[in-house]
Amino acid sequence: MSDATISSAPALDLEAGRAGRRHLISRIVIYGLLTFFAIIYLMPLWVVFFNSFRPLAEISANGLIAFPQSFRLDAWPQAWSEFCIGGQCAGMQRYFWNSIMMVVPATIISTAMGAITGYVLSKWKFRGSEIVFGMMLLGVFMPGQIALLPWAFILGKIGLANSVYGLVLVHCIQGLAFTTLFCRNYFVGIPDDLVKAARIDGAGFWRIFYRIILPISPPILIVTVIWQFTGIWNEYLFGVVLNSGANQPITAALVALSMSGTTVRTYDVMSAAVLIGALPPLLVYFFGGKYFVRGLTQGAIK
Amino acid sequence: MNFKSKVALGAAATITAALLSGTAMAEPKVLMLHQWASGNDAASIAKLGEMFTAKGGTWEQTAIAGHTANTLAKLRADVVAGNAPAAVQLKGPEIAQWAATGGTADMDELATTEGWDAVVAPELLPVMKPQGKWVAAPMNIHRINWIWGNKAAMESVGVAELPKTWADFNAACDKAIAGGKVCLAHFSADWSDATTFETVVYGQDIDLYRKAFVEGDVDALRSPEMIKAFDQMKLMVSKYMDPAIAGRDYDTAANMMSNGDALFYIMGDWELGRLVSLGKTPGSDILCGQSPTDWDGNGFILNSDSVVFFNQNNPDFQEGQKLLASTILSPEFQTVFNIAKGSIPARLDVDLTQGFNACQQQSQAELKGSIEGGTLVRSMAHNMTVLQKYRGAMMDLITEFVNSPEMTSEEAANLMADGVEAQM
Amino acid sequence: MSSAGYAAMAGGNSFWEKLKSWTPIFVIAPAVVASFVYVFVFSGWTMYISLSDSTLLPTYGFKGLENYASLWANRRWGVAYSNLFFFSGIFVLTTMAVGLLLALLLDQKIRAESFWRTMYMYPLAVSFIVTGTVWQWLYNPTGGIQFLVQSMGWTDFEFALTTDRKNAIWAIIITGIWQSAGFTMALFLAGLRSVDGDIIKAASIDGASTFRIYRKVILPSITPIFLAVAVVQLQSAIKTFDLAVALTNSGPGISTTFPATYVYDLMFQRGQIGEGAAAAMMILAALAVVLVPYSMYLGWRRRREVVHV
Repeated sequence: MSDATISSAPALDLEAGRAGRRHLISRIVIYGLLTFFAIIYLMPLWVVFFNSFRPLAEISANGLIAFPQSFRLDAWPQAWSEFCIGGQCAGMQRYFWNSIMMVVPATIISTAMGAITGYVLSKWKFRGSEIVFGMMLLGVFMPGQIALLPWAFILGKIGLANSVYGLVLVHCIQGLAFTTLFCRNYFVGIPDDLVKAARIDGAGFWRIFYRIILPISPPILIVTVIWQFTGIWNEYLFGVVLNSGANQPITAALVALSMSGTTVRTYDVMSAAVLIGALPPLLVYFFGGKYFVRGLTQGAIK
Repeated sequence: MNFKSKVALGAAATITAALLSGTAMAEPKVLMLHQWASGNDAASIAKLGEMFTAKGGTWEQTAIAGHTANTLAKLRADVVAGNAPAAVQLKGPEIAQWAATGGTADMDELATTEGWDAVVAPELLPVMKPQGKWVAAPMNIHRINWIWGNKAAMESVGVAELPKTWADFNAACDKAIAGGKVCLAHFSADWSDATTFETVVYGQDIDLYRKAFVEGDVDALRSPEMIKAFDQMKLMVSKYMDPAIAGRDYDTAANMMSNGDALFYIMGDWELGRLVSLGKTPGSDILCGQSPTDWDGNGFILNSDSVVFFNQNNPDFQEGQKLLASTILSPEFQTVFNIAKGSIPARLDVDLTQGFNACQQQSQAELKGSIEGGTLVRSMAHNMTVLQKYRGAMMDLITEFVNSPEMTSEEAANLMADGVEAQM
Repeated sequence: MSSAGYAAMAGGNSFWEKLKSWTPIFVIAPAVVASFVYVFVFSGWTMYISLSDSTLLPTYGFKGLENYASLWANRRWGVAYSNLFFFSGIFVLTTMAVGLLLALLLDQKIRAESFWRTMYMYPLAVSFIVTGTVWQWLYNPTGGIQFLVQSMGWTDFEFALTTDRKNAIWAIIITGIWQSAGFTMALFLAGLRSVDGDIIKAASIDGASTFRIYRKVILPSITPIFLAVAVVQLQSAIKTFDLAVALTNSGPGISTTFPATYVYDLMFQRGQIGEGAAAAMMILAALAVVLVPYSMYLGWRRRREVVHV
């Protein structure tokens, strides 16, 4: 990890000779605290993970938080393809694919649009471009409940009501504020001279974008993609309300699980279902997380 | 027969055939939006789907679990999008509200042909035909004012029969406490708290119930009689229920009574479906009776599930709506559906001696008694009376009262009245 | 420099060149228009609806401020608004404190930093619905933490936050901190890493202690980040919805109602779209109270930086 090398920490080892013992104690305190927080942070994950392998009888006898006494895999295939959600016993499967069909195009399109808009708003400024940026930024703060009925109306008018494409459109536009913010702030840091020089060499709008901007953008594009992917995957209000039946995303199924009113709670299958529902964004974080802080350092907070 | 008439006949035949095939070509389809996403409910609605399919229809459904708000939000979004579902599970005053927007379909023709007015319980008619025309089909009649008792648990503390009056109830509870049992199983949610409270109000004073919960009269909500009802509720919450009611779920509460930890449970008759699935015999090991009333005779707090039809342009869906409505009101469906769900048919002409259990038969008999005695009311807690905004204000307060030991009955009555007034 | 200026510099004079100079504007026009519709048309529409007689469906009869009056007369709205203040205050301060502590710990040249970091940040990837569901299990008195501790022998132990009207909001606060302290940590860490290394080196050569360097050099230089984090957390607190729905569903009683959950209830459950829109406008007003001063501060800082440079 190269991050460690850019640590701002003062060189503690300078003092090592003078106060070796103090150093050791401070190390113990640091790792102790880190471990303490790590346990708190991991507990919920640990609970769901174990419960997905524990038989229901064991969960009701020993409580929700316990090590498995026995081990069985049944809950997973049940959650994936048999569990009854919303009156249909076909598991999380179809919701999962709906979410994939929604999240992949929506993430790609909103990131691309944000990159281009950010590029214009930082490198091709025009009169009023700062104001345009400021106003687009307001989208970050819009509460979702306000947009629900207007979206329903618009999607109905353009014939995308109750379709995964409708949700793609909604998420692209709602995500623009974030993606533009991230990309624009990152691009501002690229020296204008680079762009000027390229222009003098006769490079046009798109050429500069492809040849100069894009090659140095991966850090911020990764941040943007992580942000959009997790945000869109996890959004539930629009998924539940704008789409119905076979077209709902996975969060709709999770809501159905968490509020299954008058029936017995099948904690084992629910645990497996919850993990299936959380897996894709978790994977994205586990693999992309290390770029997140770096990207943030370079772009998002300014 | 001469040639001319032969031609005429042939032409007529051709036209008839064309017409027939025309109607045959409209394939009945329906998309139904409902919130019966799990368990017994889902199984019951699946039966509707099966019967509809057996009659040649194409069945599609959207089941939205959880909060009713999600179902209603979905409906609103669909209507705003110009994409109203063909059939929606809706109830009570909301049917009238939606009918007033002009978006609901007119089912009068079918209703006349099938003679619905004559067979459906009279209390349901104003709900199903808010502006004089049928827009909805009732599926069942639930009774809210049931008290369930675990016979063995009752006997173990010396309670011989289900309490008839609230005084009886309190006496039985004192015995339960002395015997180390919880008297009343309960779990706190806005609807369950309101269910218990409305049976208290109804049992103490039926006029108060009508004024306060059916008409939304603010003075009645504030009256000394209402304060008295809150006193009874307070007694029940603080003494006769156990302290862990908040955060408990429906199942756990129901199990407390069925396994004998608690003597009684006040809950609507959907509880029956559960008891049967637990292997209990309603009427013998689990007793069922009218929740306590301080007046004589049969009482009945009614709740009804219904399906509302929204205007459709596609003839397939129009046909589907007719087929669905006709299926819902058929005695076969009313029988099959209600045996599973614990309720009784919305048609009063269905014979309950076959397949229905003793409690359901009692329910139908007491419904008829209640209609004769003029004591039949619709349920506030289950959204059959006042508009949602008033009901919401009432339920907010009731559930807050249940969860706030320091709130007095006077405060509660005043705050409930203020809350309703604020919505006017 | 404006794009027209670039075009002039390139010396193009033809229609084609002119058109080309407009490329950037054409390119972003759809995104900008869509964003404007989203922000201004949607909130403008909501504002109008808040003044209308809408009930079951949006209608356009004007009835002035009645919806606002009725909203503020409503007890539950009072509960929602005071919850919002209580929650926001504690949530923002605690997530910042925990986030800063974790960031400082991670900044101590520790081994396997990315491993630790991932552990604190993974909750960010999980939806509030999942978080709410799982934490609801942990808070469940008959199977969760209380049950665990009791079964280990401490039979009087009580930890039933979600079922206690007075403390249920703490369940939402704790879960909220668990979910988003990783984010504040990432922002602070990014800030710490962006401090100029030379200044730190200079200070440590002067013999300043680690603690002193943080207090006197590093933390002061990232004050703008404190403010940015506070604003980001505050606006997410104001919009709290999913977590409250999944964890307590406004209960016990109405004790954990939040403005956003109440908006949803009014608009969709109770068929009072007008009053719901009025409540939504109050949320926007609360956001404006946070954002307007912040953006003014940012503008002031930018101008000051220009002067200094």
